[in-house]
Amino acid sequence: MKARGAGWRSVEAAAGLLAPVEREVVLGDLAETDRDVWRALGDVLGLAARRQLSLWRNWRPWAASVGLALPASLFLMGCSVAASADLAGALRELDQVQLLWFPLSRLLLVISWAWMAGFVVGSVSRATLWASLLACFVPCLYCLSKWPGEGLSHLRLLVFFLPGLWGVWRGRRQMQLGLGWTVLLAAMAMLTPLMWSKGGWVYGCWLFWPGWYVAATARRKQ
Amino acid sequence: MVGEFEFLILSAAAHLGEEAYGAAMREVIETNGGRTCSLGALYITLDRLEAKGLVETWMSAPIQQRGGRAKRMMRVTREGVHAAREFYQAVIKISSGTVWGESRRSRLTGDAA
Repeated sequence: MKARGAGWRSVEAAAGLLAPVEREVVLGDLAETDRDVWRALGDVLGLAARRQLSLWRNWRPWAASVGLALPASLFLMGCSVAASADLAGALRELDQVQLLWFPLSRLLLVISWAWMAGFVVGSVSRATLWASLLACFVPCLYCLSKWPGEGLSHLRLLVFFLPGLWGVWRGRRQMQLGLGWTVLLAAMAMLTPLMWSKGGWVYGCWLFWPGWYVAATARRKQ
Repeated sequence: MVGEFEFLILSAAAHLGEEAYGAAMREVIETNGGRTCSLGALYITLDRLEAKGLVETWMSAPIQQRGGRAKRMMRVTREGVHAAREFYQAVIKISSGTVWGESRRSRLTGDAA
């Protein structure tokens, strides 16, 4: 097909789904054949779909999306609501300053746990990040649609969101964590589910794994 | 043993020799094999063949006619030749005595006469 025009640009845009080296090879192959736009698009999208499917034969995409992003988003929404409600209650009684440290520490736990979960999601399976984000967004959107509050109270559900996204970004860039940091994160990872125990013990124990994962990978990197 | 599509790719690559790469192999498979061949199926199968050690692939230098893009060249290895021969002999052997196998033989005999 002619390597110009709107049709070619759409094929090039679709080829963005492929790895850079493969993208060049495929676009080159298409440039020297006389396929129409639709067949060229089918070629590119078909290859991208096959590549994605082959990724799912590994445990990593499953662990990142179904094993962590989905249960963590449900858990963190509950924690976010509880922590922000605690803090709001404490702020109403500002004369008792000693009461503030407890809700603040809980809020810190939520933020650090969300960062760590995001980091693990980003580093375990970078190529299927879209699926992990989908597994996180769908419960969030559902809960937001059912949330009884109005206005800014919706934000209570999503206190974890920005730290989680920050963690995903750092994990995706394969930032290496020092052993000291990972031990601290692992301890927080144990403490956070124990502190809330939402969804029962099995659920809580399942949520320990990201902490152990960061500790184990940091040790291996050293 | 290799599969049918893997055999087609090995055969196309053997036909093309030093000029075996994606677009050319697709052309040969579609023209001589009588079937459509998507680039997705081609490259996924090529990866599998390479993982089995039946082909070698490498990137060529950028080529002007392709908009300055490189080709993914390929070559059949000795193991690939052995695997393709094994598949071919199995097809010939299992086809002997069948209608399609006999018609092929009589056609060849007729051609010789």
